[in-house]
Amino acid sequence: MSTPVNIAFELNGRKIDACVSARTTVVELLRDTFRLTGTKVSCELQVCGVCTVLVDSLAVSACSMLACDLDGTSLTTIEGVMQGTELHPIQEAFIETNAFQCGFCTPGFVMMTLALLDREPNPTVETTRDWLDGNICRCTGYQPIERAVQVASRRLAEIESDSD
Amino acid sequence: MPVLPEVRHVRAFTLDEALSLIDDDVVPYAGATELVPAMRLGVRRPEAIVDLKRINELGGVDLDMATNAVRLGAAITHREMADNSVVNEFLPSLAAAAAHVGNVRVRNSGTLGGNLSFAEPRSDLSVVLSALDATVEIASAGGQKTIPMKDLILGAFETCLSPDELLIAVTVPFEPVGMSYWKLKSYERPTVGIASLPVEGGWKIVVGAATERPEQTTIATNDLDAVDAFVNSLDISDDLSGTPDYKRSILRSRISRIVALP
Repeated sequence: MSTPVNIAFELNGRKIDACVSARTTVVELLRDTFRLTGTKVSCELQVCGVCTVLVDSLAVSACSMLACDLDGTSLTTIEGVMQGTELHPIQEAFIETNAFQCGFCTPGFVMMTLALLDREPNPTVETTRDWLDGNICRCTGYQPIERAVQVASRRLAEIESDSD
Repeated sequence: MPVLPEVRHVRAFTLDEALSLIDDDVVPYAGATELVPAMRLGVRRPEAIVDLKRINELGGVDLDMATNAVRLGAAITHREMADNSVVNEFLPSLAAAAAHVGNVRVRNSGTLGGNLSFAEPRSDLSVVLSALDATVEIASAGGQKTIPMKDLILGAFETCLSPDELLIAVTVPFEPVGMSYWKLKSYERPTVGIASLPVEGGWKIVVGAATERPEQTTIATNDLDAVDAFVNSLDISDDLSGTPDYKRSILRSRISRIVALP
């Protein structure tokens, strides 16, 4: 029997108390229990990036993190990125630049871009490539995604300066 | 269907508590970067796993100006090493290597202790730390000992740690001027890693990733025969990242350039 573990954490801003099995991964908890299926699963080796979520603002692979280790953390998934009914500027930028085709990798790219722009609001192309190195897209050829990051960076800077 | 097998979970809060628990079938973890995939693949089937993340004694970076060394707690993540001001000032090659391990997510969760204890041959840190003559602190319920970094890793996925022992810290002497670490990486993990640092009359060279464990030698300035002899003596792994001939050719040209430096 796997140990049942009581955890308390924040999921997209909501306080959650849950009891999880020790062998449950974060992505299983999200998809199977909370029915938050925006976070995808593919390689299960931390290589492809489709399961990228933010734990305490840091990007991690939800496929390789144990749900019991969420205790005391704040978890953000792609479902927590929209602001009310408005898409996040990063999501808008992905649409504007055609930065996806099939869309399977997109939640992971959006989450990694969120982590990148949080840390480096105005990244160079080199920095962008460094950060997105661990996210795989088989459709776009990556250049539209790089453009999306640049567009999102500018848009967020405009919003920042408007609010000053 | 859960992807992981049944497992018992224990959260340890002190080092003593963790040491009293770990054994053949009760294995420690922190980042879970290596353990979770290993359990999923069936390579590891522990009865229980012990979470080390809440043990304060395993964290932290301590600067010792008396011995000119930095002590790194085993549970420090790659990102924390890459961002730490002491590591950047006194161990810049280690900071740079840590900043390029795997990908952002791996660096956020993977730890120094996990990286070394798992002994995946394609590791950057083991090469850099071997070059710097780091020492490793190992603890068990029976006591503690310190060993040279180069004695820790015995082969691919094989260390001298017994199941009841835990790697708790690594102490690294300040990096000398002129040291560098270079790697060829086509995907995720390095294909070839080379650390070099100047010594009297030549260079100390440590090679990793292409070999099962870090291999080191000292080569006199411009002694290209010694470069050939060293590279030919290595047992180079044959895998998807390249043939032994290919890796040997990279090692030969790269090390030759290093030892040609005055």
